[in-house]
Amino acid sequence: MHGALHVARTGLSAQDTNLKVISNNLANVSTVGFKKDRAVFEDLLYQIRRQPGAASSEESQLPSGLQVGNGVRTVGTQKMFTEGDLQVTEQAFDVAINGRGFFQILKPDGQTAYTRNGEFGIDAEGRMVTSEGFPLQPEIVLPDNVTSVTIGNDGTVSAIVAEDANPVNLGVIEIADFTNPQGLMAIGQNLFLETASSGAPVIGVPGLDSNGILQQGMLEGSNVNAVEELVEMITTQRAYEINSKVISTADQMLSFVTQQI
Amino acid sequence: MDKFLYVAMTGARENMKAQQVHSNNLANVNTTGFKADLEQARSMRVIGEGLESRVYSMGERPGTNTESGTLFQTDRSLDVAIDGEGWIAVLDQEGQEAYTRSGSLQVLSTGELVTSNGNPVMGANGAPIVLPPSSKVNVANDGTITVFAIGDPATEPAVIDRIKLVTLEKGSFFKGLNGMMVKDDGLIADQNIDVRLRSGYLETSNVNAINELTSIISLSKQFEMQIKMMKTAEEISSSGSSILRMS
Repeated sequence: MHGALHVARTGLSAQDTNLKVISNNLANVSTVGFKKDRAVFEDLLYQIRRQPGAASSEESQLPSGLQVGNGVRTVGTQKMFTEGDLQVTEQAFDVAINGRGFFQILKPDGQTAYTRNGEFGIDAEGRMVTSEGFPLQPEIVLPDNVTSVTIGNDGTVSAIVAEDANPVNLGVIEIADFTNPQGLMAIGQNLFLETASSGAPVIGVPGLDSNGILQQGMLEGSNVNAVEELVEMITTQRAYEINSKVISTADQMLSFVTQQI
Repeated sequence: MDKFLYVAMTGARENMKAQQVHSNNLANVNTTGFKADLEQARSMRVIGEGLESRVYSMGERPGTNTESGTLFQTDRSLDVAIDGEGWIAVLDQEGQEAYTRSGSLQVLSTGELVTSNGNPVMGANGAPIVLPPSSKVNVANDGTITVFAIGDPATEPAVIDRIKLVTLEKGSFFKGLNGMMVKDDGLIADQNIDVRLRSGYLETSNVNAINELTSIISLSKQFEMQIKMMKTAEEISSSGSSILRMS
């Protein structure tokens, strides 16, 4: 049939994907520790309809051929690991990572997941857990009768128990870093899993080497910029309209053929 | 039947192919660093025995519009856009050097610096760039990459390599089948140290949606005219046969 129909269809589905990514970003504009996505497009392979340099007669050659593109393809989505703004919450178990690194979370299936969302709480056993109830790794267990908990910049957790003036050391929150954080797989619930493309986690103490430091009483906001996303949405919508216009034009051409001949 | 039916048929066929070139441009109106394809028609005489009374049309893609798109800010240090003329050298799937302006770069777990579709970026010494595990990667205006390696003090950036940036002379390159530019002679372009990059920016597609849409409409009207011509050919032929009918 008409090649332009299929090419414009790829354009429509690419803009469709783009809109989905944008709307997901906007929906998470106030999700703690959320990292925005960006859809990446590339042009599809070209088809040679007529080779450049082919002979047009015995003595002459075509200076240029006819290579026709097949449309656009969504290569994938990229997570943008730029840092969100730090918000002061003054909650003892809210911890933000200022700089690189991820908290390590033990999922119920035994896998370790990684997150930048430091909204922790305490479960019935006194462990520090995420808002979903998954324990932080290495485990931090609070004793009974805790008056106050302090989390240092280097991840040291100490608590004042009952009337004792000397704080008790409860352990260290270690954070993990990756060579290519963009390669992590987002599984929802603000969690990421390690993949072959992210590389193995490098586990370290906050503040050492290039790791970020921990900030107690703060949370990292979403890094979505609502204005940017809205502008993206406008260009996506217009691109969508243009491609649908191509489809209707191609359709008119074909219907003209069937009516006239 | 008059052979002009076939002339009209080639016109309609080539119009449809030309439509595809324009619709491909429009499908890529949001593709980073995409360069719009140009399209033209050429008249082809039929050379052979007899009178040369027939000229068929032939659609062509004579080249690519290499004008720069608009730069837009992304604030990601590995997004690079070329300021003015120039191209980024990468390796394509077959290991050949090709040139692109789509500069959304990524670091693989192996440390290789690749474009968003996975093509390794070439360094100044003609080998793909490999970065050590690092906490922060900076790309300078001239393509020099500095990193803060993991474990190194944060005050001592290390220079790793320089992205190979080239300029291609107009008319000496074409868009290959994978959408990246290759040189006509198949040779490798030399590094040009005067090409400038901007980190934190990407270049939009240079497709002008209005031009493309206008071309599409104009081509569709041309197409309708060709169909009218076919219809006319049919009418002439049928009136001819009705005159000659014996009854």
